[in-house]
Amino acid sequence: MHIPDAFMPLWQGAIYWIIALVFVMLALRWAKNELTEEKIPVVAVLAAAVFALMSFNLPVSMGTSGHLIGGALVAIVLGSPFAAVFILTLVLIVQGVLFGDGGITTMGANIINMGVIGGFVGYYSFHGLMRVTKNISFSAGPAAWLACFIPAEVCAVEMFLAGTFPLREGLIAMGLYHTLIGIIEAVITVLVIHLIIRVRPDLIDEKVRQLQARGEAG
Amino acid sequence: MMDQKNMKFLIIGVLLALVIAIIAVFFASPDPDGLDSTALIASGQKSLTAPATGENISVDAPGHFSYESPMPDYNLGGNWGSMGGIIAMVIGTLLTFGAVMGLVWLLKKRKSSKKPVS
Repeated sequence: MHIPDAFMPLWQGAIYWIIALVFVMLALRWAKNELTEEKIPVVAVLAAAVFALMSFNLPVSMGTSGHLIGGALVAIVLGSPFAAVFILTLVLIVQGVLFGDGGITTMGANIINMGVIGGFVGYYSFHGLMRVTKNISFSAGPAAWLACFIPAEVCAVEMFLAGTFPLREGLIAMGLYHTLIGIIEAVITVLVIHLIIRVRPDLIDEKVRQLQARGEAG
Repeated sequence: MMDQKNMKFLIIGVLLALVIAIIAVFFASPDPDGLDSTALIASGQKSLTAPATGENISVDAPGHFSYESPMPDYNLGGNWGSMGGIIAMVIGTLLTFGAVMGLVWLLKKRKSSKKPVS
């Protein structure tokens, strides 16, 4: 759901850029203050993996493809929605500037959709679900799905405001396609979290480890 | 500094990302993504559940800012074929990795130089 330059008037792109920059500043502050030495490899590896996954369009039938976003994954593993803003911003800059995937004037909107909304929805829905289900898979899966679906619907609204899509058709089509893409996102997110827990449990967010330990004990 | 365990994670992680990036060159779907598909529906070139049809399937809208990227569509173009795709994806993956490492290093350096005791 990378919005190209052509899909949005300049002035609207500028507004999203200003909002996005506020979150980017906060994400830089997160990296400066919260990112501990031992987490640096995780951040860098996740960023490289998110780039590869975001550039990999998977078929979802109906003549449409979609790619993973990874906002929920990053926010859950690193324990902050700002981790998603940090990584997704860098990935979107590389994709937009080098590969023309997503526009320059619309990069602010893309950062808001996939980084900010994806990260916050993913992080908070994971922790909300964790309280109820006490199960990492049943929490991370739906959280990742929501972190794909909600940004897509927000994107549809932005496209309506930009005069690119009619609202109803946009919401239906974006919702339908990203319902399917979100299922892939959910499966991969759960798999990667379990993979990290298996090989390097010390690298996963401490809150997740404690929640898991409590879930296993209870 | 980084211990051996973290170094191992780092190297295996980046290699895995590179493998995904290279697989993407050969197996990525050529179909338009969700957003482009929706744009094609809005312009009457595609129906909700069927692939787009028509001569020149295009989602270009003129009149806005335009930018020419050096490697459009994750490829070098020209006669490079899939090798161009592989090179582009490897550059992108390593550059993203390097950008994060560099930025984090810069932020940490600035922090430690400002507050030597923390």
